[in-house]
Amino acid sequence: MTAYNTITFDPSRCKSCNDCDACMTACSQIKSGTDDLLYSRIKIIAGMNGSLPELALCRQCGDPECTKSCPSTALTKNEQTGVIDWDKSLCIDCLLCTVGCTYGGITYNMTLNHVAKCDMCDGDPACVKACPSGALSYVTSAGIFNDQHDREDLFVPGLSACQGCNSEMIMRHSLRKVGPDTVLATPPGCIPGMGSVGFNGTTGTKVPVFHPLLTNTASMLAGLKKQYNRMGRNVTAMALAGDGGAGDVGFQSLSGAAERNDQILFIVVDNEGYMNTGMQASGSTSYGSWTTTTPVGSEMKGKRTNQKNLAMIMMNHNCEYVATASTAFVEDYYEKLDKALAASERGFAYLHIYSPCPTGWRFPSSQTIEVCRKGVETNFAPLWEYERGGELRFTHSIDDPLPVEAYLNLSGKYRHVSEEQLQHIQEQVNERVKTLKRFAGLN
Amino acid sequence: MSKMKAHPRPDMSQVPDNLCPVATIENPMLPGDWRAERPIVDRAKCVKCGICWIFCPVQCIVEKRAWFDVNYDTCKGCGICAVECPHRAIKMIEEVK
Repeated sequence: MTAYNTITFDPSRCKSCNDCDACMTACSQIKSGTDDLLYSRIKIIAGMNGSLPELALCRQCGDPECTKSCPSTALTKNEQTGVIDWDKSLCIDCLLCTVGCTYGGITYNMTLNHVAKCDMCDGDPACVKACPSGALSYVTSAGIFNDQHDREDLFVPGLSACQGCNSEMIMRHSLRKVGPDTVLATPPGCIPGMGSVGFNGTTGTKVPVFHPLLTNTASMLAGLKKQYNRMGRNVTAMALAGDGGAGDVGFQSLSGAAERNDQILFIVVDNEGYMNTGMQASGSTSYGSWTTTTPVGSEMKGKRTNQKNLAMIMMNHNCEYVATASTAFVEDYYEKLDKALAASERGFAYLHIYSPCPTGWRFPSSQTIEVCRKGVETNFAPLWEYERGGELRFTHSIDDPLPVEAYLNLSGKYRHVSEEQLQHIQEQVNERVKTLKRFAGLN
Repeated sequence: MSKMKAHPRPDMSQVPDNLCPVATIENPMLPGDWRAERPIVDRAKCVKCGICWIFCPVQCIVEKRAWFDVNYDTCKGCGICAVECPHRAIKMIEEVK
């Protein structure tokens, strides 16, 4: 079985454009070679009394009504592409399909004398390309499901991570992809804390896993990998560490392993603090954040110092592969994971994943991915990659970012932030992008 | 060696008792009883885009022939799927005894 690509619609973005009709014109053009909107198979219906616009378009339903109501089997769901195909030669123009559809996705065209529906332009929809506001988008992450869902999840189903935990998502996706020929190290933090190493003689992982000290994750893995190499076994040495275990107390061993270019895949889940032990600040905690060690009172207003940029520090080790990623951009993450996995055969590969924490950052558990997304879209957490000897390359556009408030407003840990602090954070973000651009050879 | 499935657990009977604790049993805990809200999938609206499966931290989304459903034994009820579903096919309802 398969998942399918889909066209999605964000009515709030569409509204701001005020009837541009670009999608409908593009559809009429490509399907019928005319600008007449009557030929368009996508329709935007203006909202009544100030409500949001609605989309009339075939959703290519998983369990479609139109195919069930069609008496002549002219409409069939294509199992490969997911598109509901309409066969003109079989159609008897009874129009029963138009009655069954809830979305106005298949309609009668008076001039052509038959029904017409969206066929997704064979995987390259013209309407999405024409949409100027980004209200229409073509979601292709179904490919990840199709590629990955046959692989076994190498963690047990019951990990006691908080609801909406981004780290849990990263762990499951990463280890599933890396595969069973892995030795996993998880230094103290949320990741072993949620039971991946196990409790009371039980284990949470289906590959060999061990629990080093905060300080020695990278050096223990380096030794293990060398011993496996000596035994002639090809095993991925992988670490799943928090930002504290990697960037603060564990930094000397991490830096050493990167300098020696040991064959390790080191994944850092950066939730900006020691969330497992009660939300204490770490070196990665961003300026102005509330934590239990940087409280908000009459004197102190959250963290007073800027965060250090661990990913850039690692890039300056000139190890095999360094990249930042975010779970909101999962396709991008999988590409980087592939490259990192290949690089870890040659030397040290480092992945830095921004990982908003619903419990510690004070936002509802359902908003995790939205916070990730806004972090990237405001340039607070720019996505880039670096390969040894090459230049830094941005993998998500850094042009036209949203103002940083759009990101800060989502988390309770920035609730107290004043105008000056906000300005300082925005300057920090701009500064960081400027530095990254220099490494990318862009200015 | 298969890249898809976990290897069978090795025979631990030869490991000396006094070496160090080695866990051999998988943790059987299921977090389904944590839920305060339960996600409900509207089968008519689901287009099988797989977004819920990708963004579910617990990976509790299961594929059915014509839609994606939720494994309530492991779903913690975080609500990410309901927010991220591009066709708003998932709703959170209150969990009642």
